[in-house]
Amino acid sequence: MIRMKTRGGVPAARSWDIEVRGLTKTFGTVEAVADLGFTVAPGTVTAFLGPNGSGKTTTMRMLLGLVTPTSGHATIGGLRYAELPRPAATVGAVLDTSGFHPDHTARDHLGVYARLGGFAPSRVREVMDLVGVTPFAGRRTRALSTGMRRRLHLATALLGDPRVLLLDEPGNGLDPEGIAWLRRFLRELAAEGRTILVSSHVLSEVEQMAEHAVMIRGGRLVAAGAVTDLYGEAAVRVRSPQAGPLTAALLAAHPGAVRVETVEPDTLRVHGLSTAAIAAEATARGVPLHEITPERPTLEHAFLQLTGNNQGDTR
Amino acid sequence: MTALVWAELRRLAATRLPMWGALAATGSGGFVGLLALIGPENFDPPMPGLETDASVRVLLGLLGLCAFVPALLGTTAVASEYRHRTITTTALFAPRRWTALAAKLAAYTIAGLAYGLIAVTVAGAALFGAAAVKGVTLGLPAATVLALLARIAVTMAVYTLVGVAVGALIPNQVAAAAVLGAYFYMIETALLLIPGVKELYPYLPGGATAALTGFTFLTEALAEQTGGGAASLLSAPLGAAVLVGYALAAAVIAVVAPLRRDIT
Repeated sequence: MIRMKTRGGVPAARSWDIEVRGLTKTFGTVEAVADLGFTVAPGTVTAFLGPNGSGKTTTMRMLLGLVTPTSGHATIGGLRYAELPRPAATVGAVLDTSGFHPDHTARDHLGVYARLGGFAPSRVREVMDLVGVTPFAGRRTRALSTGMRRRLHLATALLGDPRVLLLDEPGNGLDPEGIAWLRRFLRELAAEGRTILVSSHVLSEVEQMAEHAVMIRGGRLVAAGAVTDLYGEAAVRVRSPQAGPLTAALLAAHPGAVRVETVEPDTLRVHGLSTAAIAAEATARGVPLHEITPERPTLEHAFLQLTGNNQGDTR
Repeated sequence: MTALVWAELRRLAATRLPMWGALAATGSGGFVGLLALIGPENFDPPMPGLETDASVRVLLGLLGLCAFVPALLGTTAVASEYRHRTITTTALFAPRRWTALAAKLAAYTIAGLAYGLIAVTVAGAALFGAAAVKGVTLGLPAATVLALLARIAVTMAVYTLVGVAVGALIPNQVAAAAVLGAYFYMIETALLLIPGVKELYPYLPGGATAALTGFTFLTEALAEQTGGGAASLLSAPLGAAVLVGYALAAAVIAVVAPLRRDIT
Protein backbone atom coordinates (compact mmCIF):
# COMPACT_ATOMS: atom_id res chain seq x y z
CA MET A 1 0.00 0.00 0.00
CA ILE A 2 1.33 3.45 -0.87
CA ARG A 3 0.94 5.80 2.02
CA MET A 4 -1.21 8.84 1.59
CA LYS A 5 0.00 12.17 2.80
CA THR A 6 -1.89 15.21 3.95
CA ARG A 7 -3.51 16.76 0.95
CA GLY A 8 -1.64 20.04 1.21
CA GLY A 9 -4.62 22.33 0.79
CA VAL A 10 -6.16 20.41 -2.09
CA PRO A 11 -9.90 19.89 -1.48
CA ALA A 12 -10.38 16.15 -0.88
CA ALA A 13 -14.16 16.29 -1.34
CA ARG A 14 -13.96 17.19 -5.04
CA SER A 15 -14.35 14.29 -7.47
CA TRP A 16 -11.18 14.26 -9.52
CA ASP A 17 -12.69 13.14 -12.80
CA ILE A 18 -10.88 13.88 -16.01
CA GLU A 19 -13.35 15.23 -18.53
CA VAL A 20 -12.72 15.90 -22.20
CA ARG A 21 -15.53 17.41 -24.29
CA GLY A 22 -15.49 18.39 -27.96
CA LEU A 23 -11.72 18.72 -27.82
CA THR A 24 -10.09 19.71 -31.09
CA LYS A 25 -6.54 20.78 -31.88
CA THR A 26 -5.28 21.81 -35.26
CA PHE A 27 -1.61 22.38 -36.03
CA GLY A 28 -1.59 24.29 -39.33
CA THR A 29 -3.61 22.10 -41.65
CA VAL A 30 -3.18 18.97 -39.55
CA GLU A 31 -6.05 18.04 -37.27
CA ALA A 32 -4.29 16.24 -34.42
CA VAL A 33 -7.39 15.83 -32.24
CA ALA A 34 -10.95 16.05 -33.53
CA ASP A 35 -14.06 16.54 -31.40
CA LEU A 36 -12.77 14.14 -28.77
CA GLY A 37 -14.83 13.38 -25.70
CA PHE A 38 -14.43 10.98 -22.79
CA THR A 39 -14.47 10.83 -19.00
CA VAL A 40 -11.98 9.14 -16.69
CA ALA A 41 -13.23 8.25 -13.21
CA PRO A 42 -11.18 8.03 -10.01
CA GLY A 43 -10.25 4.72 -8.42
CA THR A 44 -9.21 2.87 -11.54
CA VAL A 45 -6.41 2.78 -14.04
CA THR A 46 -7.70 3.90 -17.43
CA ALA A 47 -5.71 3.08 -20.54
CA PHE A 48 -5.53 5.72 -23.24
CA LEU A 49 -4.85 3.72 -26.37
CA GLY A 50 -4.08 4.46 -29.95
CA PRO A 51 -1.37 4.06 -32.55
CA ASN A 52 1.59 6.44 -32.69
CA GLY A 53 0.44 9.82 -33.94
CA SER A 54 -3.18 9.24 -32.98
CA GLY A 55 -3.34 12.33 -30.75
CA LYS A 56 -2.79 10.82 -27.29
CA THR A 57 0.12 13.07 -26.34
CA THR A 58 -1.57 16.19 -27.71
CA THR A 59 -4.71 15.37 -25.72
CA MET A 60 -2.68 14.90 -22.53
CA ARG A 61 -0.83 18.16 -23.13
CA MET A 62 -4.14 19.96 -23.59
CA LEU A 63 -5.36 18.47 -20.30
CA LEU A 64 -2.23 19.86 -18.66
CA GLY A 65 -2.49 23.34 -20.20
CA LEU A 66 0.70 22.91 -22.20
CA VAL A 67 -1.13 23.05 -25.53
CA THR A 68 -4.07 25.38 -26.10
CA PRO A 69 -7.09 23.61 -27.66
CA THR A 70 -8.47 25.00 -30.89
CA SER A 71 -11.91 24.29 -29.45
CA GLY A 72 -13.58 22.24 -26.74
CA HIS A 73 -12.38 21.78 -23.20
CA ALA A 74 -10.34 19.42 -21.06
CA THR A 75 -10.77 19.63 -17.30
CA ILE A 76 -9.63 17.88 -14.14
CA GLY A 77 -12.08 17.99 -11.27
CA GLY A 78 -14.13 20.43 -13.34
CA LEU A 79 -11.29 22.93 -13.62
CA ARG A 80 -8.73 23.70 -16.28
CA TYR A 81 -5.23 22.71 -15.15
CA ALA A 82 -4.07 26.30 -14.64
CA GLU A 83 -7.17 27.00 -12.52
CA LEU A 84 -6.42 24.22 -10.02
CA PRO A 85 -5.58 25.58 -6.57
CA ARG A 86 -2.25 23.74 -6.36
CA PRO A 87 -1.77 22.09 -9.74
CA ALA A 88 1.37 20.06 -8.95
CA ALA A 89 -0.22 18.84 -5.70
CA THR A 90 -3.31 17.73 -7.61
CA VAL A 91 -2.00 16.31 -10.87
CA GLY A 92 1.25 14.46 -11.53
CA ALA A 93 2.33 13.94 -15.11
CA VAL A 94 5.00 12.01 -16.95
CA LEU A 95 5.29 13.15 -20.55
CA ASP A 96 8.85 12.84 -21.84
CA THR A 97 11.87 10.63 -21.46
CA SER A 98 13.94 13.81 -21.78
CA GLY A 99 13.33 16.82 -19.57
CA PHE A 100 16.39 16.87 -17.34
CA HIS A 101 19.28 19.31 -17.20
CA PRO A 102 22.31 17.12 -17.93
CA ASP A 103 24.36 18.80 -15.18
CA HIS A 104 21.75 18.04 -12.52
CA THR A 105 21.85 14.91 -10.41
CA ALA A 106 18.59 13.05 -9.88
CA ARG A 107 18.46 14.58 -6.38
CA ASP A 108 19.08 18.10 -7.75
CA HIS A 109 16.25 17.65 -10.25
CA LEU A 110 13.77 16.62 -7.57
CA GLY A 111 15.05 19.36 -5.26
CA VAL A 112 14.38 22.06 -7.87
CA TYR A 113 10.82 20.88 -8.49
CA ALA A 114 10.09 20.33 -4.80
CA ARG A 115 10.99 24.01 -4.33
CA LEU A 116 9.00 25.06 -7.39
CA GLY A 117 5.93 23.18 -6.17
CA GLY A 118 6.34 24.41 -2.59
CA PHE A 119 6.79 20.90 -1.17
CA ALA A 120 8.85 20.02 1.90
CA PRO A 121 12.47 19.01 1.15
CA SER A 122 11.81 15.73 3.00
CA ARG A 123 9.39 14.81 0.22
CA VAL A 124 12.37 14.39 -2.13
CA ARG A 125 13.74 11.51 -0.09
CA GLU A 126 10.27 9.97 0.25
CA VAL A 127 9.58 9.83 -3.49
CA MET A 128 13.11 8.65 -4.21
CA ASP A 129 12.55 5.69 -1.89
CA LEU A 130 9.04 5.15 -3.21
CA VAL A 131 9.96 4.66 -6.86
CA GLY A 132 13.53 3.39 -6.49
CA VAL A 133 15.50 6.50 -7.40
CA THR A 134 17.66 6.44 -4.24
CA PRO A 135 20.34 4.09 -5.70
CA PHE A 136 21.16 6.62 -8.44
CA ALA A 137 20.20 9.83 -6.62
CA GLY A 138 23.72 11.28 -6.89
CA ARG A 139 24.20 10.45 -10.56
CA ARG A 140 24.01 13.20 -13.16
CA THR A 141 20.92 12.85 -15.34
CA ARG A 142 23.05 12.71 -18.50
CA ALA A 143 24.29 9.32 -17.29
CA LEU A 144 20.89 7.80 -16.52
CA SER A 145 19.42 4.91 -18.49
CA THR A 146 15.95 5.26 -20.01
CA GLY A 147 14.49 3.14 -17.22
CA MET A 148 16.12 5.35 -14.57
CA ARG A 149 14.79 8.44 -16.35
CA ARG A 150 11.31 6.95 -16.30
CA ARG A 151 11.54 6.37 -12.56
CA LEU A 152 12.87 9.88 -12.01
CA HIS A 153 10.00 11.36 -14.02
CA LEU A 154 7.55 9.30 -11.97
CA ALA A 155 9.21 10.49 -8.75
CA THR A 156 8.86 14.10 -9.99
CA ALA A 157 5.19 13.54 -10.76
CA LEU A 158 4.61 12.12 -7.27
CA LEU A 159 6.31 14.99 -5.41
CA GLY A 160 2.95 16.59 -4.67
CA ASP A 161 1.28 13.27 -3.77
CA PRO A 162 -1.29 14.03 -6.49
CA ARG A 163 -4.87 12.76 -6.74
CA VAL A 164 -4.59 12.48 -10.51
CA LEU A 165 -1.82 10.92 -12.59
CA LEU A 166 -1.38 11.35 -16.34
CA LEU A 167 1.31 9.10 -17.74
CA ASP A 168 2.30 9.17 -21.41
CA GLU A 169 3.82 5.87 -22.50
CA PRO A 170 5.33 5.22 -19.06
CA GLY A 171 6.46 1.72 -20.00
CA ASN A 172 8.75 2.90 -22.81
CA GLY A 173 12.31 1.91 -21.97
CA LEU A 174 11.39 -0.19 -18.95
CA ASP A 175 12.53 -3.80 -18.80
CA PRO A 176 9.92 -6.54 -18.11
CA GLU A 177 10.65 -6.34 -14.38
CA GLY A 178 10.18 -2.57 -14.48
CA ILE A 179 6.90 -2.88 -16.35
CA ALA A 180 5.62 -5.44 -13.82
CA TRP A 181 6.65 -3.08 -11.01
CA LEU A 182 4.92 -0.14 -12.71
CA ARG A 183 1.75 -2.19 -13.16
CA ARG A 184 1.60 -3.10 -9.46
CA PHE A 185 2.49 0.42 -8.42
CA LEU A 186 -0.21 2.09 -10.50
CA ARG A 187 -2.84 -0.41 -9.37
CA GLU A 188 -2.00 0.37 -5.76
CA LEU A 189 -2.27 4.10 -6.45
CA ALA A 190 -5.63 3.58 -8.15
CA ALA A 191 -6.83 1.45 -5.22
CA GLU A 192 -6.28 4.53 -3.04
CA GLY A 193 -8.92 6.33 -5.10
CA ARG A 194 -6.64 8.22 -7.43
CA THR A 195 -7.51 8.94 -11.05
CA ILE A 196 -4.95 7.40 -13.36
CA LEU A 197 -4.78 7.78 -17.13
CA VAL A 198 -2.00 5.84 -18.86
CA SER A 199 -1.40 6.24 -22.56
CA SER A 200 0.26 3.59 -24.64
CA HIS A 201 0.50 2.31 -28.16
CA VAL A 202 1.52 -1.10 -26.81
CA LEU A 203 -1.86 -2.55 -25.91
CA SER A 204 -0.51 -5.72 -24.30
CA GLU A 205 1.52 -3.56 -21.91
CA VAL A 206 -1.45 -1.84 -20.31
CA GLU A 207 -4.21 -4.40 -20.60
CA GLN A 208 -3.10 -6.15 -17.43
CA MET A 209 -3.23 -2.99 -15.36
CA ALA A 210 -6.19 -1.09 -16.79
CA GLU A 211 -9.82 -1.66 -15.92
CA HIS A 212 -11.07 0.98 -18.32
CA ALA A 213 -9.86 2.09 -21.71
CA VAL A 214 -10.27 4.99 -24.08
CA MET A 215 -9.34 4.13 -27.66
CA ILE A 216 -8.59 6.77 -30.26
CA ARG A 217 -7.40 6.76 -33.83
CA GLY A 218 -6.66 9.73 -36.06
CA GLY A 219 -7.50 12.03 -33.15
CA ARG A 220 -11.04 10.68 -32.90
CA LEU A 221 -12.67 8.48 -30.29
CA VAL A 222 -13.03 4.86 -31.32
CA ALA A 223 -14.41 3.41 -28.08
CA ALA A 224 -14.44 3.97 -24.35
CA GLY A 225 -15.55 1.84 -21.46
CA ALA A 226 -14.68 -1.07 -19.21
CA VAL A 227 -11.93 -3.23 -20.69
CA THR A 228 -14.07 -6.36 -20.22
CA ASP A 229 -16.83 -4.75 -22.29
CA LEU A 230 -14.39 -3.72 -25.01
CA TYR A 231 -12.92 -7.20 -25.29
CA GLY A 232 -16.13 -8.52 -26.84
CA GLU A 233 -17.12 -12.17 -26.67
CA ALA A 234 -14.58 -14.89 -25.95
CA ALA A 235 -13.93 -17.55 -28.57
CA VAL A 236 -12.58 -21.10 -28.80
CA ARG A 237 -10.21 -22.23 -31.53
CA VAL A 238 -11.01 -25.74 -32.74
CA ARG A 239 -9.02 -27.84 -35.23
CA SER A 240 -10.63 -30.95 -36.65
CA PRO A 241 -10.36 -32.96 -39.90
CA GLN A 242 -14.19 -32.87 -39.92
CA ALA A 243 -14.65 -29.13 -39.45
CA GLY A 244 -17.72 -29.00 -41.70
CA PRO A 245 -19.75 -31.67 -39.86
CA LEU A 246 -18.67 -30.19 -36.53
CA THR A 247 -19.93 -26.74 -37.58
CA ALA A 248 -23.28 -28.21 -38.58
CA ALA A 249 -23.52 -30.16 -35.33
CA LEU A 250 -22.75 -27.12 -33.12
CA LEU A 251 -25.22 -24.87 -34.95
CA ALA A 252 -27.93 -27.55 -34.77
CA ALA A 253 -27.39 -28.24 -31.07
CA HIS A 254 -27.32 -24.56 -30.01
CA PRO A 255 -29.44 -22.63 -32.51
CA GLY A 256 -29.07 -18.87 -32.17
CA ALA A 257 -26.55 -19.16 -29.31
CA VAL A 258 -23.45 -20.02 -31.26
CA ARG A 259 -21.48 -18.41 -34.09
CA VAL A 260 -18.80 -20.28 -36.01
CA GLU A 261 -16.05 -18.69 -38.12
CA THR A 262 -14.02 -20.82 -40.52
CA VAL A 263 -10.42 -19.69 -40.09
CA GLU A 264 -8.81 -22.48 -42.17
CA PRO A 265 -10.45 -25.48 -43.90
CA ASP A 266 -9.72 -27.54 -40.78
CA THR A 267 -9.84 -24.75 -38.19
CA LEU A 268 -12.85 -23.03 -36.64
CA ARG A 269 -13.31 -20.14 -34.23
CA VAL A 270 -16.42 -20.83 -32.15
CA HIS A 271 -18.16 -17.98 -30.31
CA GLY A 272 -20.73 -18.52 -27.58
CA LEU A 273 -19.72 -21.96 -26.32
CA SER A 274 -17.22 -23.16 -23.72
CA THR A 275 -14.45 -25.64 -24.52
CA ALA A 276 -16.32 -28.25 -22.45
CA ALA A 277 -19.55 -27.80 -24.42
CA ILE A 278 -17.74 -28.04 -27.76
CA ALA A 279 -15.79 -31.13 -26.65
CA ALA A 280 -19.00 -32.82 -25.41
CA GLU A 281 -20.76 -32.14 -28.71
CA ALA A 282 -17.80 -33.45 -30.74
CA THR A 283 -17.60 -36.61 -28.60
CA ALA A 284 -21.33 -37.20 -28.95
CA ARG A 285 -21.09 -36.90 -32.77
CA GLY A 286 -17.86 -38.92 -32.98
CA VAL A 287 -15.97 -35.99 -34.50
CA PRO A 288 -12.21 -36.18 -33.83
CA LEU A 289 -10.57 -33.02 -32.42
CA HIS A 290 -6.89 -32.19 -33.00
CA GLU A 291 -6.91 -28.98 -31.01
CA ILE A 292 -9.32 -27.10 -28.76
CA THR A 293 -7.97 -23.86 -27.29
CA PRO A 294 -9.80 -21.04 -25.53
CA GLU A 295 -8.75 -17.74 -27.09
CA ARG A 296 -8.18 -15.11 -24.43
CA PRO A 297 -9.66 -11.83 -25.64
CA THR A 298 -7.08 -9.06 -25.99
CA LEU A 299 -7.28 -5.32 -26.29
CA GLU A 300 -5.36 -5.64 -29.51
CA HIS A 301 -8.09 -7.84 -30.96
CA ALA A 302 -10.75 -5.49 -29.64
CA PHE A 303 -8.96 -2.44 -31.02
CA LEU A 304 -8.48 -3.94 -34.45
CA GLN A 305 -12.09 -5.06 -34.53
CA LEU A 306 -13.34 -1.65 -33.45
CA THR A 307 -11.22 0.24 -35.95
CA GLY A 308 -11.66 -2.38 -38.65
CA ASN A 309 -7.99 -1.97 -39.46
CA ASN A 310 -5.36 -4.65 -39.22
CA GLN A 311 -2.57 -2.53 -40.65
CA GLY A 312 -2.00 -0.18 -37.70
CA ASP A 313 1.18 -0.24 -35.68
CA THR A 314 -0.75 -0.99 -32.53
CA ARG A 315 0.59 -4.23 -31.09
CA MET B 1 6.92 33.79 -5.70
CA THR B 2 9.81 33.51 -3.23
CA ALA B 3 9.68 29.72 -3.60
CA LEU B 4 9.89 30.08 -7.38
CA VAL B 5 12.90 32.40 -7.15
CA TRP B 6 14.65 29.98 -4.79
CA ALA B 7 13.84 27.13 -7.15
CA GLU B 8 15.40 29.02 -10.05
CA LEU B 9 18.48 29.84 -8.00
CA ARG B 10 18.76 26.19 -7.01
CA ARG B 11 18.31 25.12 -10.63
CA LEU B 12 21.10 27.48 -11.66
CA ALA B 13 23.40 26.58 -8.77
CA ALA B 14 23.23 22.88 -9.62
CA THR B 15 24.59 23.47 -13.14
CA ARG B 16 28.10 24.33 -14.24
CA LEU B 17 27.02 27.78 -15.40
CA PRO B 18 27.93 29.53 -12.11
CA MET B 19 31.43 28.07 -12.35
CA TRP B 20 31.86 29.25 -15.94
CA GLY B 21 30.27 32.57 -15.04
CA ALA B 22 32.65 33.11 -12.13
CA LEU B 23 35.58 32.22 -14.37
CA ALA B 24 34.38 34.59 -17.11
CA ALA B 25 33.80 37.40 -14.58
CA THR B 26 37.22 36.88 -13.06
CA GLY B 27 38.69 36.74 -16.57
CA SER B 28 37.01 40.02 -17.59
CA GLY B 29 38.25 41.77 -14.47
CA GLY B 30 41.66 40.15 -14.79
CA PHE B 31 41.93 41.28 -18.43
CA VAL B 32 41.48 44.90 -17.35
CA GLY B 33 44.02 44.32 -14.59
CA LEU B 34 46.48 42.84 -17.07
CA LEU B 35 46.10 45.87 -19.36
CA ALA B 36 46.64 48.17 -16.37
CA LEU B 37 49.73 46.25 -15.37
CA ILE B 38 51.15 46.38 -18.91
CA GLY B 39 50.36 50.10 -18.82
CA PRO B 40 48.42 52.08 -21.46
CA GLU B 41 51.68 53.91 -22.24
CA ASN B 42 53.00 50.62 -23.65
CA PHE B 43 49.95 50.04 -25.93
CA ASP B 44 50.31 50.34 -29.69
CA PRO B 45 49.60 53.17 -30.35
CA PRO B 46 50.68 54.41 -26.90
CA MET B 47 48.08 56.01 -24.65
CA PRO B 48 48.50 58.23 -21.64
CA GLY B 49 49.43 56.36 -18.45
CA LEU B 50 47.24 55.26 -15.56
CA GLU B 51 47.76 58.60 -13.90
CA THR B 52 45.43 60.20 -16.47
CA ASP B 53 41.64 60.41 -16.33
CA ALA B 54 41.27 59.26 -19.98
CA SER B 55 43.29 56.09 -19.56
CA VAL B 56 41.37 54.92 -16.47
CA ARG B 57 38.08 55.58 -18.28
CA VAL B 58 39.25 53.56 -21.30
CA LEU B 59 40.17 50.59 -19.10
CA LEU B 60 36.84 50.71 -17.25
CA GLY B 61 35.04 51.16 -20.57
CA LEU B 62 36.68 47.97 -21.85
CA LEU B 63 35.29 46.17 -18.80
CA GLY B 64 31.86 47.59 -19.68
CA LEU B 65 32.24 46.12 -23.17
CA CYS B 66 32.46 42.68 -21.55
CA ALA B 67 28.86 43.04 -20.32
CA PHE B 68 27.62 40.99 -23.27
CA VAL B 69 29.15 37.91 -21.61
CA PRO B 70 26.61 37.75 -18.73
CA ALA B 71 23.90 38.50 -21.32
CA LEU B 72 25.02 35.39 -23.19
CA LEU B 73 24.99 33.39 -19.96
CA GLY B 74 21.42 34.59 -19.24
CA THR B 75 20.33 33.60 -22.74
CA THR B 76 21.98 30.20 -22.43
CA ALA B 77 20.37 29.51 -19.08
CA VAL B 78 16.82 30.25 -20.23
CA ALA B 79 17.09 28.73 -23.71
CA SER B 80 18.50 25.56 -22.12
CA GLU B 81 15.05 25.03 -20.57
CA TYR B 82 13.75 24.50 -24.08
CA ARG B 83 16.81 22.61 -25.27
CA HIS B 84 16.68 20.09 -22.44
CA ARG B 85 12.85 20.16 -22.41
CA THR B 86 12.74 20.95 -18.70
CA ILE B 87 10.28 23.68 -19.72
CA THR B 88 7.52 21.03 -19.75
CA THR B 89 7.96 20.12 -16.09
CA THR B 90 8.49 23.77 -15.15
CA ALA B 91 5.21 24.70 -16.85
CA LEU B 92 3.44 21.88 -15.00
CA PHE B 93 4.72 23.06 -11.63
CA ALA B 94 4.11 26.74 -12.43
CA PRO B 95 1.25 26.72 -14.98
CA ARG B 96 0.77 30.46 -14.68
CA ARG B 97 3.81 30.87 -16.86
CA TRP B 98 4.41 34.50 -16.12
CA THR B 99 5.23 33.56 -12.52
CA ALA B 100 7.99 31.17 -13.62
CA LEU B 101 9.45 33.74 -15.98
CA ALA B 102 9.24 36.49 -13.38
CA ALA B 103 11.08 34.20 -10.96
CA LYS B 104 13.72 33.57 -13.58
CA LEU B 105 14.15 37.31 -14.11
CA ALA B 106 14.59 37.85 -10.38
CA ALA B 107 17.02 34.94 -10.03
CA TYR B 108 19.09 36.00 -13.02
CA THR B 109 19.16 39.61 -11.90
CA ILE B 110 20.78 38.33 -8.70
CA ALA B 111 23.12 36.12 -10.72
CA GLY B 112 23.97 38.98 -13.11
CA LEU B 113 24.69 41.28 -10.21
CA ALA B 114 26.94 38.63 -8.66
CA TYR B 115 28.73 38.32 -11.99
CA GLY B 116 29.16 42.07 -12.15
CA LEU B 117 30.41 42.28 -8.57
CA ILE B 118 33.04 39.61 -9.20
CA ALA B 119 34.16 41.31 -12.42
CA VAL B 120 34.39 44.82 -10.93
CA THR B 121 35.99 43.59 -7.71
CA VAL B 122 38.74 41.85 -9.65
CA ALA B 123 39.11 44.80 -12.05
CA GLY B 124 39.12 47.37 -9.24
CA ALA B 125 41.66 45.45 -7.20
CA ALA B 126 43.81 44.99 -10.29
CA LEU B 127 43.58 48.70 -11.24
CA PHE B 128 44.55 49.94 -7.80
CA GLY B 129 47.15 47.17 -7.51
CA ALA B 130 48.72 48.03 -10.87
CA ALA B 131 48.84 51.71 -9.93
CA ALA B 132 50.54 50.81 -6.66
CA VAL B 133 53.02 48.54 -8.43
CA LYS B 134 53.82 51.31 -10.89
CA GLY B 135 54.01 53.86 -8.08
CA VAL B 136 51.42 56.17 -9.64
CA THR B 137 48.06 57.50 -8.50
CA LEU B 138 45.07 56.64 -10.69
CA GLY B 139 43.95 59.54 -12.88
CA LEU B 140 40.47 59.48 -11.34
CA PRO B 141 39.61 59.87 -7.66
CA ALA B 142 39.05 56.52 -5.90
CA ALA B 143 35.41 57.44 -5.22
CA THR B 144 34.81 58.08 -8.93
CA VAL B 145 36.49 54.79 -9.87
CA LEU B 146 34.33 52.92 -7.34
CA ALA B 147 31.18 54.65 -8.61
CA LEU B 148 32.03 53.71 -12.20
CA LEU B 149 32.72 50.12 -11.11
CA ALA B 150 29.34 49.99 -9.36
CA ARG B 151 27.63 51.29 -12.51
CA ILE B 152 29.35 48.58 -14.56
CA ALA B 153 28.19 45.89 -12.11
CA VAL B 154 24.60 47.10 -12.40
CA THR B 155 24.96 47.30 -16.19
CA MET B 156 26.02 43.66 -16.21
CA ALA B 157 22.89 42.72 -14.24
CA VAL B 158 20.76 44.66 -16.78
CA TYR B 159 22.49 42.90 -19.66
CA THR B 160 21.80 39.55 -17.99
CA LEU B 161 18.11 40.50 -17.95
CA VAL B 162 18.26 41.36 -21.65
CA GLY B 163 19.89 37.97 -22.21
CA VAL B 164 17.09 36.21 -20.31
CA ALA B 165 14.51 38.00 -22.48
CA VAL B 166 16.28 36.94 -25.68
CA GLY B 167 16.39 33.36 -24.39
CA ALA B 168 12.66 33.45 -23.63
CA LEU B 169 11.91 34.96 -27.04
CA ILE B 170 14.09 32.60 -29.10
CA PRO B 171 13.79 29.11 -27.59
CA ASN B 172 16.53 27.69 -29.81
CA GLN B 173 19.60 27.97 -27.60
CA VAL B 174 22.17 28.22 -30.38
CA ALA B 175 20.11 30.72 -32.40
CA ALA B 176 19.47 32.86 -29.32
CA ALA B 177 23.16 32.96 -28.36
CA ALA B 178 24.15 33.68 -31.98
CA VAL B 179 21.67 36.57 -32.28
CA LEU B 180 22.79 38.11 -29.02
CA GLY B 181 26.51 37.64 -29.70
CA ALA B 182 26.21 39.01 -33.24
CA TYR B 183 24.31 42.05 -32.00
CA PHE B 184 26.72 43.05 -29.28
CA TYR B 185 29.87 41.98 -31.08
CA MET B 186 29.17 43.23 -34.60
CA ILE B 187 25.85 44.87 -35.37
CA GLU B 188 25.89 47.59 -32.72
CA THR B 189 29.42 48.66 -33.60
CA ALA B 190 28.69 48.42 -37.33
CA LEU B 191 25.73 50.79 -36.88
CA LEU B 192 28.21 53.44 -35.75
CA LEU B 193 29.67 53.41 -39.26
CA ILE B 194 26.37 54.23 -40.99
CA PRO B 195 25.72 57.97 -41.33
CA GLY B 196 22.33 58.89 -39.90
CA VAL B 197 21.86 55.56 -38.17
CA LYS B 198 24.73 56.31 -35.81
CA GLU B 199 22.56 58.98 -34.24
CA LEU B 200 20.60 56.06 -32.77
CA TYR B 201 23.70 54.66 -31.11
CA PRO B 202 23.36 56.62 -27.83
CA TYR B 203 19.97 54.95 -27.35
CA LEU B 204 21.23 51.43 -28.02
CA PRO B 205 22.37 49.28 -25.06
CA GLY B 206 26.04 49.81 -25.94
CA GLY B 207 25.63 53.56 -26.28
CA ALA B 208 23.70 53.82 -23.02
CA THR B 209 26.37 51.76 -21.27
CA ALA B 210 29.10 53.99 -22.70
CA ALA B 211 27.21 57.03 -21.40
CA LEU B 212 26.93 55.46 -17.97
CA THR B 213 30.62 54.67 -17.77
CA GLY B 214 31.80 57.79 -19.64
CA PHE B 215 33.48 55.54 -22.24
CA THR B 216 33.79 57.58 -25.44
CA PHE B 217 36.85 55.77 -26.78
CA LEU B 218 34.91 53.57 -29.21
CA THR B 219 32.84 56.35 -30.79
CA GLU B 220 35.84 58.65 -31.05
CA ALA B 221 38.09 55.98 -32.56
CA LEU B 222 35.45 55.10 -35.19
CA ALA B 223 34.84 58.77 -35.92
CA GLU B 224 38.57 59.26 -36.42
CA GLN B 225 38.78 56.31 -38.82
CA THR B 226 35.70 57.26 -40.85
CA GLY B 227 36.43 60.99 -40.82
CA GLY B 228 32.91 61.81 -39.54
CA GLY B 229 31.88 63.30 -36.24
CA ALA B 230 31.67 61.10 -33.16
CA ALA B 231 28.17 60.08 -32.06
CA SER B 232 27.42 62.16 -29.00
CA LEU B 233 26.53 60.05 -25.98
CA LEU B 234 23.72 60.76 -23.55
CA SER B 235 24.39 62.07 -20.07
CA ALA B 236 25.10 59.38 -17.46
CA PRO B 237 21.63 59.65 -15.81
CA LEU B 238 19.92 59.45 -19.22
CA GLY B 239 22.10 56.49 -20.16
CA ALA B 240 21.03 54.80 -16.93
CA ALA B 241 17.38 55.58 -17.72
CA VAL B 242 17.74 54.05 -21.19
CA LEU B 243 19.32 50.92 -19.70
CA VAL B 244 16.52 50.64 -17.14
CA GLY B 245 14.09 50.97 -20.06
CA TYR B 246 15.80 48.07 -21.79
CA ALA B 247 15.61 46.05 -18.57
CA LEU B 248 11.87 46.71 -18.27
CA ALA B 249 11.25 45.94 -21.94
CA ALA B 250 13.26 42.74 -21.57
CA ALA B 251 11.25 41.77 -18.50
CA VAL B 252 7.94 42.33 -20.30
CA ILE B 253 9.11 40.39 -23.36
CA ALA B 254 10.41 37.54 -21.21
CA VAL B 255 7.13 37.27 -19.33
CA VAL B 256 4.69 37.80 -22.22
CA ALA B 257 6.43 35.96 -25.09
CA PRO B 258 5.99 32.37 -23.82
CA LEU B 259 2.46 32.85 -22.47
CA ARG B 260 0.52 31.55 -25.47
CA ARG B 261 3.22 29.31 -26.88
CA ASP B 262 2.29 25.64 -27.11
CA ILE B 263 4.75 23.35 -25.36
CA THR B 264 4.70 20.28 -27.58
